[in-house]
This record gives sequence, structure tokens and C-alpha cells, in this order.
Amino acid sequence: MGQKVVETKGSDVEAAIQAGLAQLGLSRDAVEIEVLDEGSRGLLGIGARNAQVRLTAQIADQPVVDKPVVETPAVVKAPIAEPVVSKSPPKSEPAPKMVKTAVPVEEDEETIAAREEEQAAAVEIVTDLLERMHVDASLTTSLSEPDDVTGRIINILEIHGDDLSTLIGPRGDTLNALQYISRLMVGHKLRTRAGFVIDVEGYRQRREQALARLADRMARKVAKRKRAMSLEPMPPHERRIIHMTLRDDKYVYTESIGEGNRRKVKIIPKRS
Amino acid sequence: MKELVEFIVKSLVDNPDEVRVYATEDRSETTLELSVAADDMGRVIGKNGRVINSIRTLVQVSAAKEGKRVNLEVLEADRD
Repeated sequence: MGQKVVETKGSDVEAAIQAGLAQLGLSRDAVEIEVLDEGSRGLLGIGARNAQVRLTAQIADQPVVDKPVVETPAVVKAPIAEPVVSKSPPKSEPAPKMVKTAVPVEEDEETIAAREEEQAAAVEIVTDLLERMHVDASLTTSLSEPDDVTGRIINILEIHGDDLSTLIGPRGDTLNALQYISRLMVGHKLRTRAGFVIDVEGYRQRREQALARLADRMARKVAKRKRAMSLEPMPPHERRIIHMTLRDDKYVYTESIGEGNRRKVKIIPKRS
Repeated sequence: MKELVEFIVKSLVDNPDEVRVYATEDRSETTLELSVAADDMGRVIGKNGRVINSIRTLVQVSAAKEGKRVNLEVLEADRD
């Protein structure tokens, strides 16, 4: 019997375990799980720490094939739903609860240090900007969840205060301008590209939920009428929310069309 | 408003010492004229004017608080 050990990290213990299992290509009952660090969400992202686990798998000795390739941890692809060809009755057992987290990307110290440096510079610059705009507000910082696709974790600056609707502007225009300019300023200062997000009183989160609902509503309409429909023009991150919401939709798919700030999402029925 | 524009632009250019903002006010409207080093023109205007338009948006917020309108123009750089 041989042993195979992996250590993985994730935003919480469960995510770390899933990442490890994916790496090994094994199911949960085939491994021994040891929690090395339960991790911590931290307070407002300050002091947040990833959970870490060690998975040990007992592997029956395989006849040694002299291919060194065998030892390479196979890149395990998430089980992709295969096109249903067989006529077999649908399985009655509940689908295994696939945790839909992207395999958490291991963050090296460099990434973390760069993000902390960006956060410090962003807080300073945005504070200065708001002061000069005569906006009476305070700032808190946090970290995003790992991105669904890239696993990237980014800085979030949240602005709090009374009557900040002028800071959001029509459809978030002012907020987007503030984010764009302060990213440029921070990027110029640090000689890199800044990617932090600025939010005002949870506006982006509310907008995100509203966009997801809009996407679903329009998708149903498109599926019913079997005719493509375009949404109004949106900035890139908002278009992305629409694409992500509908990416697994059975009846429609999405495309971005148009140029520059006229770019918009088109929802198109799939041919059945 | 003038300080806001100066602060933003100086943080975006390579030649902050050459940033000048001239303000002319009348009762309801402020006009700000911005001049930067020729090499920094592109940085301040941005692709399709995205940078200068974003600066305009931010200046408008602080102008609105004073009940004013504001025009922000970029002066043509002299190329010697």
C-alpha cells in the first residue's frame, strides 16, 4: 500500500477539502482528512486566513508501470454533464452536491503582499479624493470571495455615510468614475495595475442581485418567444454578471455586441 | 473644485510640476482650464476621453454641492 498526501487551502475547510479531493481525483470516503488550520474570515477582511487541510489517501500498489507520468497528479476536470445519449432512466439518487467553488488558487506571499500594498494606497487616495470632493464619508475595507473562474481575491473599499446617492449617480456612473480614476491613481503610484472595487452602501451588491434577476427574467422571455433580445448597454463588470448568471442556462446563451460604451449583452435562444 | 482637479491630475501624470488649472467663475458656472505637459496629454484624456470624462463626473459632484455648474477643458499643449 502506498500513500498519497496533499495539502490544500481554501476559503473555508469545506472548500479546502474539495480542492484536495479534486486534486487527488478521489471521493471523500477514500481519504483521511486532517484539518491543519480552520482559517478565519477575519473582521472586514482584516486578518482573514485561508483554511488548510491535509488529505491522505491509501493507494493500493499498482503494478509498476514504468511511466513516470503516473505520479503526476492528474488534472481532474470537474465532471461535465455529458450530453444525454443513453436512454437509461434518470438516476433517482440526488446528484452529488458538487460544491461550485472554483478550485481555490493557492495564493503566494507575493500576491498577498501586493494586495495589501494596493489596499493601503487605495485607502489613502480615496480618502483624499472624497475629502477634496467635500463628501463626508468613512471607509472600510474587505476582501472579495475568490472569483468563480480565476480564484482571484480582490480588495473592496466600502464607502459609508449619509446621503451618498450623489456619489453613486445615474446607474452608478459617478461610482464607476470614482473607481476608474482612483484605480488609475493607485496604479500610477504603485507602477502596476490596480483592480480594487469601490462600493457605496452596498450599491454594487444590490445592483448585482438586480442584474441577476433581470437576466433570469429576460432569459425566460427569450426562451418562450424563441427570439433574441438585447439588454441596454452596460459596463464590463455588469455584462459579466449577466453572462455568469446565464452561463449554464439550458435554453439560452449570451453574447456581447456593440463597441465601447454602447456594448451590451444579447440573449439568444439555443436551437433545440 | 480646482484643488480636486489638481490633485487627481497630478497623481496621474509623469510631470506633476507642469500641471496648471486656471479657474474662471461667474455667478452660476465655473470654468476650469487644465494644462499639462505635452507628454501627459494622452494620460489625462484617455482612450475616447474616458479619463477626462471621469474627472468631469467627479468635479460635477462637488460643484453640485455648491449649486454650480462646472466646465472642465483641456488646453492644447504647446509643442516646441
